[in-house]
Amino acid sequence: MQFSYEVKDSYAEVKSVGRLNMVAAPKLREVVNEVVAGGSSRVVVNLAETDFMDSSGLGALIGCLKAARQAGGDLRISGVQPQVKMVLELTNMDRVLTSYTSAEEAFGDD
Amino acid sequence: MTEVIARRGFHGPSNEEAIESIHNELDALWDDAAFVPDMDRMTFATAVIEAAANIVQHALPVAEKPVEIDVDISVRPARLVARVSAYNAREPFASDMQASMPDSEAESGRGLALIEALVTTVTFERQDGTNTWILTRDT
Repeated sequence: MQFSYEVKDSYAEVKSVGRLNMVAAPKLREVVNEVVAGGSSRVVVNLAETDFMDSSGLGALIGCLKAARQAGGDLRISGVQPQVKMVLELTNMDRVLTSYTSAEEAFGDD
Repeated sequence: MTEVIARRGFHGPSNEEAIESIHNELDALWDDAAFVPDMDRMTFATAVIEAAANIVQHALPVAEKPVEIDVDISVRPARLVARVSAYNAREPFASDMQASMPDSEAESGRGLALIEALVTTVTFERQDGTNTWILTRDT
């Protein structure tokens, strides 16, 4: 599992590659906290290369969403793959974690 | 006896590396049984990883021996079966067995509810210091 991020004009994109499981979840929290602490509270987590997420990974995304909102921003997700979509739907979290086709589109409306 | 078409397993210390190894065994199982539809692979693998992660996160040793995790996953005609066991483990606390979905603010506690939503049957057994989750999914 790897995370990288890039701060853009109006948002920061965090790329998640691999399995977002209990091993990777704390690393995602670290990266997003670093991004938010750096002043970018509008965060897109790009999941296009994340083919698996479990409830620990989902918990980390929820924690990151709260951190971004507390800093006055928001967290959105993009490029959701079928397994991740299934986990979001079964946990009813698809209504809380808004999913966009691409990272560019996630904050494109505001 | 039900015929076993493909089978994989893992046994080792209950830690983070075990989760990655079990996931690799699941991927290898699908290589051995390429006919299993994507939807069944996805749901079954998620349930197995959730059960294994529950053990790694919550299982406490019954005595000095550390908890070990054992996974036996098999493809049978019209059914996927997993036995996910914690050896040398105490009986789980009732709070660890919570199977209802928590509210949307919660950052944990969705694992068991997710397992129940993903598989056809979930059975829990305890025998001689071993806790075993038996998960089946009809295909």
